[in-house]
Amino acid sequence: MNNLLKFTIGIFLSLGVAWLAFVVGARAQFGDLSPSSQNLDDDGNIPLDADLYPLPLSGTAEQGSKEYLALGCMTCHTQQVRMVEAGFDVERGWGQRPSVARDYIHQEHVLLGNTRIGPDLANVGRRQPDLEWLHKHLFEPQSLVPQSLCPPSPFLYDQVDQSSDKSITVVDDSNISRFIVPSIRAKRLVSYIRSLHQDYELPEMAFVINEEDEPDEAAGKENLLDFDSNQSSLPSWLDTQIASGKEIYMKAAPGGGLCFTCHQPTGEGLAGQFPPLAGSDWVLGDKERLIKISIYGLMGEIEVNGIKYNNVMAPPGIPPGSLTDQQIADVLTYIRNDWGNSASAVTSLEVSAVRSQIKGRAPMQMWTAAELNAVDE
Amino acid sequence: MKLNSEQIIDKSLKLVVCFFVASAGLWLLAAALFAYISAAKLTDPFFLSSFEYFTYGKIKLAQANAFVYGWGGNSIFAVTLWIVARLAQTESRGRVLVIFAGIIWNLAITFGLLGILDGHMTPHEMLEMPAEVWPALFISYCVIAFFIVVVHRSRKNKETIAPQWFLLSSLLWFPMLFLIAWNGLEINPARGTVQSVLSMWFGQSLIWLWLTPVALGAAYYIIPAILGRAIDKYYLAVFGFWCIATLAPWSVVHHLEGGPVPMWIPAIGTVMSIAMIFPIAVASTNFHSTAFLDISKVWDSLPLRFVIFGTLSYTISSYIGVIFSLPSVAKITQFSIINDFHFNQRVYGFFSMIIFGMVYYILPKITGNEIAKGAKAFHFWTSAFGVLILLLAYLIGGLTHGVLAQQPSLSWASSVISSVMPYFLITELAFIVLGFSQLVFVINVWKAIIPNPFAFWTCGDSQSKPETSA
Amino acid sequence: MTKKNNNNQSQGLMSDQDMVEIHSKLNVDKHPPTKGFLIAPLVFVFVFGCLIFVCSIQLAHSTNQFQLHPPTEIVVLTEEEKESLRIERKIESGKKVFAVRCASCHQANGLGIQGQYPPLAGSKWVTSDPALISNIILKGLKGEITVKGEVYGTSAAVNMAAVPITDREIANVTTYVRSAWGNTASEITEEEVSFFRADSEDQVEQWTGTQLVEMFPSVFSN
Repeated sequence: MNNLLKFTIGIFLSLGVAWLAFVVGARAQFGDLSPSSQNLDDDGNIPLDADLYPLPLSGTAEQGSKEYLALGCMTCHTQQVRMVEAGFDVERGWGQRPSVARDYIHQEHVLLGNTRIGPDLANVGRRQPDLEWLHKHLFEPQSLVPQSLCPPSPFLYDQVDQSSDKSITVVDDSNISRFIVPSIRAKRLVSYIRSLHQDYELPEMAFVINEEDEPDEAAGKENLLDFDSNQSSLPSWLDTQIASGKEIYMKAAPGGGLCFTCHQPTGEGLAGQFPPLAGSDWVLGDKERLIKISIYGLMGEIEVNGIKYNNVMAPPGIPPGSLTDQQIADVLTYIRNDWGNSASAVTSLEVSAVRSQIKGRAPMQMWTAAELNAVDE
Repeated sequence: MKLNSEQIIDKSLKLVVCFFVASAGLWLLAAALFAYISAAKLTDPFFLSSFEYFTYGKIKLAQANAFVYGWGGNSIFAVTLWIVARLAQTESRGRVLVIFAGIIWNLAITFGLLGILDGHMTPHEMLEMPAEVWPALFISYCVIAFFIVVVHRSRKNKETIAPQWFLLSSLLWFPMLFLIAWNGLEINPARGTVQSVLSMWFGQSLIWLWLTPVALGAAYYIIPAILGRAIDKYYLAVFGFWCIATLAPWSVVHHLEGGPVPMWIPAIGTVMSIAMIFPIAVASTNFHSTAFLDISKVWDSLPLRFVIFGTLSYTISSYIGVIFSLPSVAKITQFSIINDFHFNQRVYGFFSMIIFGMVYYILPKITGNEIAKGAKAFHFWTSAFGVLILLLAYLIGGLTHGVLAQQPSLSWASSVISSVMPYFLITELAFIVLGFSQLVFVINVWKAIIPNPFAFWTCGDSQSKPETSA
Repeated sequence: MTKKNNNNQSQGLMSDQDMVEIHSKLNVDKHPPTKGFLIAPLVFVFVFGCLIFVCSIQLAHSTNQFQLHPPTEIVVLTEEEKESLRIERKIESGKKVFAVRCASCHQANGLGIQGQYPPLAGSKWVTSDPALISNIILKGLKGEITVKGEVYGTSAAVNMAAVPITDREIANVTTYVRSAWGNTASEITEEEVSFFRADSEDQVEQWTGTQLVEMFPSVFSN
């Protein structure tokens, strides 16, 4: 103790051995994991053609994880489902199985957290994928869950005076509506939250409870946070409309729009021939323009997602296409909500309004892109 | 008047220790403000919610970092510089560089906290300040540590005693821990939960191996110094020291129970954490059997009142901590606000109280200005009251939180959180009381350092009074 | 047990020099021999021993031999389960291939487009001889064919081209279409496809419908 050198060596060793175990040893044991399939074949290898999990995050979700970190969310939320013997997480419906080390290998910064003032978020993308609900919760949690202690983040949203198809309506107790438009940061954060789900099995950890046995909360049937929501994550009227629209999209006439033949069931169109609908501004943007196309069709050159197309789209909304207003509303709502698209629904009233607005137009006079864009200005 | 050797050393340390104590006091107030804001946000989520810089997560982390690095760091420097120099019976060295390093340390923390509030925090426990300030922290620390070791090496008596072991070990452990964390989390990180293990290892070791030994070493110094008797059963101290040195680095990872890491990591952590009963018992025996031999003197001496409060808190809370590390208990309380209980009992109930005692002991010696006993007693009572209700609120609140969270039928916000809400209110009250008591402390300290602010230019005259214990 | 420093006791303070000297001596000096045992050290040793014992048991019990993953039940699949899992994976993979390379014409529902692209659902071109469908994919198809009573392929624009595709992908996608939309035909293996590929090496152009009907009389005999 009296010799400083020996003392220093002793101090160094006491830390060094622990370092060897917890830092070097741990890193050797699980610092280099890679994705694996849900089950292995007899030889313990990953079978051919199997999907590998965990899936990497999308770019937006990755940026959202940085927002999550920057705002300090991990101070109140954990992202781990503990083993069954060690905690009540699975029992509470926060996951179908405990989390394992492999679940976190795609995260640049692991945001495990160590306190739960809010519920665990490891599987929140499965419990609560509804976009509008998540945005409202970020803006003002107390509007959805009165006793929540989650701090409001109004700085992530722009409050506007009127509702538009980009805005979300928040109604509070006194029935006053506020209209908020998510900023790009809010969208990233919500995208990240929706990407949080450990709903795949791994060779080292299978599901502990099956879907039928899951507490209602976890399967989204009963909201963990007292919110009165419906069976699925979307409002039921929207669900019905999308289902009906999908049928119209995929069907040949009569009763269908034959849309899939050109725009494809994947909404990707055909290179050089038919433009995509997935991620297209023509679909996600101005509703009136979209409705016009869906009634009278389109011809000539049009640029979609930076690529030019030059073709003819037969009119679905007038004879012989003859989709009704409600059918047009349904199919447009569908294309605005599938293949990664997420935009507001279209109602048949909006379609009729546009139809009466363009009443004088000659039949078979399909729109051109220039005409549609000029009208906007 | 001829100064004896102790007074010469005190004179050499005056500027340095005063600088660090004054900075520590200011950081204490900053941490108190952050603590109040974060506690208030828990009772009213709309408090300051429109300011992005003040989200709950950011403020809570800013508080923890200001408390540990600002208040903890500066007070560690002050106490270590003084005790090591005194026990070495050598004047301090390199004072200008040490003060300069101290200024860099404080600037680094300031920028670090601004970085946290601006949204650039890292996810690593107790290292949330942006990585850009870490080099400054590390280098300034090494400069200060270097000069402390230099003083220790030139000690008059080659024999070392317990205070020196604890203080030196803390001094040496911090750079090692920091380098390991820096490398494993920023320079060369592995992907996945390996980071979480290292993060937790560092964050908890900072408390157990940096803050705790300094407080223990200070207690080992001040108790015999004031009571005038040797530490009772002192022969156990070596054993206790090496027990902490070997067990503590292993015990800190037990918070990962059930988590996405190999089971052996939290299992070893739990086992070692239970084994920590031993060094806790040793320290407790040393302190308390010495103190209780002369309890009235302990009470009369304000510094000792603080210190024994701290050591009692250390013993009781550490044993409670051992109970909470058992898997069957951790199952319920692992993610509850018991974590705040652990943090505050160690950093506040134990470390801060002992530092308060040491500062009240040191300052009159080096400045020659006495602090009014009433002022110190007032600080003591408000502190003790604040700490006790804070810890009780977190303890009982945490148990409630954990037990209710365990019931699947209870919905989270309306049942679990609303049942814990009364305890959050009590912690808000506790932080108001504590903030007030810390203000009293800072006023006491500044009055000793600069007794007459308007006569600043004449400050520096220390009247060498004979030492008194209160 | 404790040594008091008589010089300073009256002042109640201990100087640093005294502190260092006294405590260092405490560490070094042995206790004077006393009558009887000194209980305290024995108690400590006993308690410490018990502690180590209990801790070791806890440790051995709860670490799953230091493995990376917690213990899981070993699920032993029967042969049937393994087989059905394999087929399931193959069909999943084939479905992906179909979606990317075939669905744009034959449609996701396998119904094709009237007059243009023939259906695959319920078509004996798909569900009969493995060689038939494999050859169509390997070499492509041109000209008119009759599927389920309707004529397809009247214009050159709708001919099926031969595309670069591996044997494995052909095996997977054919297994998929032969079991989708109500089809219930057998699986096709990768080896079979390689055999068909080698066998049809000489055919350079796309098959025509007539050629194929001639090659597989048993399929089209009724």
